[in-house]
Amino acid sequence: MLVVGMMGSCREKVPDPEMYELGVMIRNAGNYFDNNGSISFLRREKSTAEVDLFLKENGRSLTGNAQDYTEVGGHSIILLDNSSPGLDKIEIVNMGTFKSEATLTAPDIENPRAVVGISDSKAYVSCWDATGDFSNFYKNPGYIAVIDLDNFKVIRKIPVPKGAEHMVKIGNEVFLGAVGGTENLTVIDATTDTVKRSIKLGASPDPIDVDANGKLWVKGNGVVYRVNPRTDAVEATLRVGTNPLKSPSNYAITPDRRGFYFVYSFYDPTDSYKEKGETYYFSIDDATIAADKPFVNRVFTGLGVDPMQGLIYAGVTPSYKQSGYVIRYRTDGSVVDSIRVDVAPSGFMFK
Amino acid sequence: MSKRQLYGRFLAFLFAVIVTSTATLRAQEDSISLRPVTVTGFAPARFLAGLKVQRFDSVTVEQFRFQNLSDLLAFHTPLAFKNYGPGQLNTVSFRGTSSSHTAVLWNGLNINQPNLGQTDFSTLPVAGFTRLAVQYGASASVVGTDAVGGSLLLESAGTQPAGLRLSVGRRQASFGNQQTQIGASYGTQLNENLRFSGKTLLYGGRMPNRYPSTQREGYALESAEASQRGLVQDLVLQGKNDRQLSAHLWLTDNGITLAPANPTSRELTRTQSYRSMVQYQTPTWTWRSAWTRDLIDFGRGDFANLEHTGTDRFLTRLEKEMNWRLGAGATPLTVRIGGEVAHYRTRVDGYTDPLITENRADLFAMSRWQASARWLLSATVRQAFVTRFDPPITPSLGTEYRLVTHSDYILTLKGSLGRSYRVPTLNERYWRELGNPAIRPESGFNKEAGLEAKWNPSPVHSLTGSLTAYHNRVDDWTYWNPQRGYRVENLQLVVARGIEVQGQWQADFTSWQAGASGGYALTRTSQERVYDTYAVDVVGKQLVYVPLHQANVNAYAQRGRTRLTAQLRGVSRSFYTFDNFRFLPGYVVANLLAETTWQRGHWHTSAQIQANNIFDALYLNVKRNAMPGRTFSLNLVVTYNSESK
Repeated sequence: MLVVGMMGSCREKVPDPEMYELGVMIRNAGNYFDNNGSISFLRREKSTAEVDLFLKENGRSLTGNAQDYTEVGGHSIILLDNSSPGLDKIEIVNMGTFKSEATLTAPDIENPRAVVGISDSKAYVSCWDATGDFSNFYKNPGYIAVIDLDNFKVIRKIPVPKGAEHMVKIGNEVFLGAVGGTENLTVIDATTDTVKRSIKLGASPDPIDVDANGKLWVKGNGVVYRVNPRTDAVEATLRVGTNPLKSPSNYAITPDRRGFYFVYSFYDPTDSYKEKGETYYFSIDDATIAADKPFVNRVFTGLGVDPMQGLIYAGVTPSYKQSGYVIRYRTDGSVVDSIRVDVAPSGFMFK
Repeated sequence: MSKRQLYGRFLAFLFAVIVTSTATLRAQEDSISLRPVTVTGFAPARFLAGLKVQRFDSVTVEQFRFQNLSDLLAFHTPLAFKNYGPGQLNTVSFRGTSSSHTAVLWNGLNINQPNLGQTDFSTLPVAGFTRLAVQYGASASVVGTDAVGGSLLLESAGTQPAGLRLSVGRRQASFGNQQTQIGASYGTQLNENLRFSGKTLLYGGRMPNRYPSTQREGYALESAEASQRGLVQDLVLQGKNDRQLSAHLWLTDNGITLAPANPTSRELTRTQSYRSMVQYQTPTWTWRSAWTRDLIDFGRGDFANLEHTGTDRFLTRLEKEMNWRLGAGATPLTVRIGGEVAHYRTRVDGYTDPLITENRADLFAMSRWQASARWLLSATVRQAFVTRFDPPITPSLGTEYRLVTHSDYILTLKGSLGRSYRVPTLNERYWRELGNPAIRPESGFNKEAGLEAKWNPSPVHSLTGSLTAYHNRVDDWTYWNPQRGYRVENLQLVVARGIEVQGQWQADFTSWQAGASGGYALTRTSQERVYDTYAVDVVGKQLVYVPLHQANVNAYAQRGRTRLTAQLRGVSRSFYTFDNFRFLPGYVVANLLAETTWQRGHWHTSAQIQANNIFDALYLNVKRNAMPGRTFSLNLVVTYNSESK
């Protein structure tokens, strides 16, 4: 519904809507030191993707690791983390045409991590700020850059804990996770752009999504939390799987908001630290998450479920120096097709 | 010096240029005349018959005296460079190999940084050496590890003429960039039997790179501030009977700060090298001892805690050369045998132990036989020994045959077979977690054949040309495998093959001179081993950052003491994904140089104006930042010569 709404607003703003309207936007993170993140576009009925829309439409590359992507108020927002200091940035493009509208750069933007739309004219971008060396990596507090999409400016920086990560907007509140050592979710008032309160959960809490019952699911270290966003009550803490070697990642909610797919993997020390594992599903009604019946017997760098067709999109990264693939699965785990895309497919936006 | 003397000197100089540019030919003439060879120093090429050598004349070296070695090579050779930006890491790919497959030799000593096993060409200024040659093809049997794709031979100044020469040089370039050089060379006869000479050079530069704009056509011009300084010291004592004692020192200190204006996120990389060598030579013996220290410091923000890499290397080598005359034709056979021992001490924050030491040794025998006036043969063999493992035994065989010998026209056929190896770098073995103590040396096999021609159609014009085809197979190619968290493995098999064409034209008219040289290289290099499911996308594809086509053209015209030079370099696209799905576009860069000299009494002044990238071409470095557009520089060198009048 949200997506349809955005498409509507896009049509109002752009009299000549371009081709990137109905389909799947694929975020290719890229290889960090190559600064080659990009956005691919796939029409559902096709089995070949259009690669690097930004280069195609603007004649220049994005130049950075594509950290996150979202669409808000007729704009597409791409977060770019460059391997060189001082060159991180946000590219804002027209959602329909992918033509560049604005570039926001350092020092406004330093290590951008995630983006969430607040209104048609406002978006939040969580940032780590400048990082240090390995002994003190998160040396600065994080911040949320408040972006005015009418004037394409960072109008405010909201100070937040170190290692600011993903955000989920519920009503007028934004729930922010962090990996910098805090055990709290930070709750921000999206009207006043101020921190309202925090919710203590456990190490590295990072919000995933809101389920059909309006509950917020939060990723922790080997666990997921179910939080009531109205009361801040932690209703459940579920251990994900039982294998002490493996850790869960890449959670993707299903269109009915009643379950999550996730990757459960480890780096095998007996086999040159190759990443091994499987992809599983759990329901929001499950009392435990056993992770014993794989949906697919392989690992992915990104997962998403298409609300329109119900197919599961899984990003394969053979290496960070070659093309990735998006494999489309039916819910029974059978393969529909495999589509070549750019390096490290890591995120999907369906519209 | 009178005008006429000057003119004569210039002609002699020009002659020297022509001769050195056709040096392989000269070498053959040496051998044909059967004159006894006096060995001063050690030229690896003598024992590498069949391999291509490209020597650079002093005009070319002088034109780049304020720039880095990579700037010179890019416009004169088909070597490909992987550049991270001005003043930043710049590594080489020689004939389709990786950055650690080129041996960089300074007076015969491999100066690749031992932890990384490669050279950052942004830290090697042309001012640091006097002579330069590029040895194409695997020459590991003669020069040792790393010479898989080829070698770069840098040599210090030898003996200097009598008297004292003092010089001051200054380069002022776009973006506030500048270089200063202060040097002296001196020579004197101490007594009847002893002659002393030497050279001292101090250089320093600051490259603040104050670009007028932060971007070009939407691509960032990365803010980076570089500094460079160094000291070169050569001392030579010549005794009687061709005995010579020499000492050489080259200190370099390079710093690069990215985002210097940003105190929290700026990044500093400082690279310092100390290289010192003492050498004693007689007509048959050469003894050499060297000490090198390579330091790298890296830090962010306030630079309070720098990550440190430091390696000391102590090395001694002894060689003996023997000459015989074989058979009825008394054809000369030269055999050179020798050995080298080296001790390494490395301290790196990320290594398994705070101090790691290892010993290496090499034994080698090299031979060269001028079997007939037309036919030259060389055969060499080397065995290296390294703590805990030994590289494979490394032989090579080469030959050159003169097909046509005519007073105006010479055609030579060449061929060579040679194994090569690369001892794994210290990083590959000792890096905590990602390193692999069990990693094996890489092993290569290079085959090549070529034709060389020289033609003098008239007394005015001379032409040289060469055509070379090669096939180089490198197995156990190490790979920091991204699928295994970038742990290093002997995973790949790389085959590089290619064709190189080079040509040169030189014309000497009565009142002016002109010349042109050009080169084209087709470099096809690919990984051939299947080691995982998705390798099918990768196998057989062109290696990343190696353009398939490269070409360069240099042309000049000179009248009196004024010379105009144009330099052109073109490269085709270079892929940055292993499956050749994505690439950085190809580009053409052109430079113009105008230079002139004045002489008055003891004073000699040379001035040069450079316009680089005159067409303002946009091209990207591997970080996908824009390289600078059109730039200008003014270079001025004033020399006082006590001997000139």
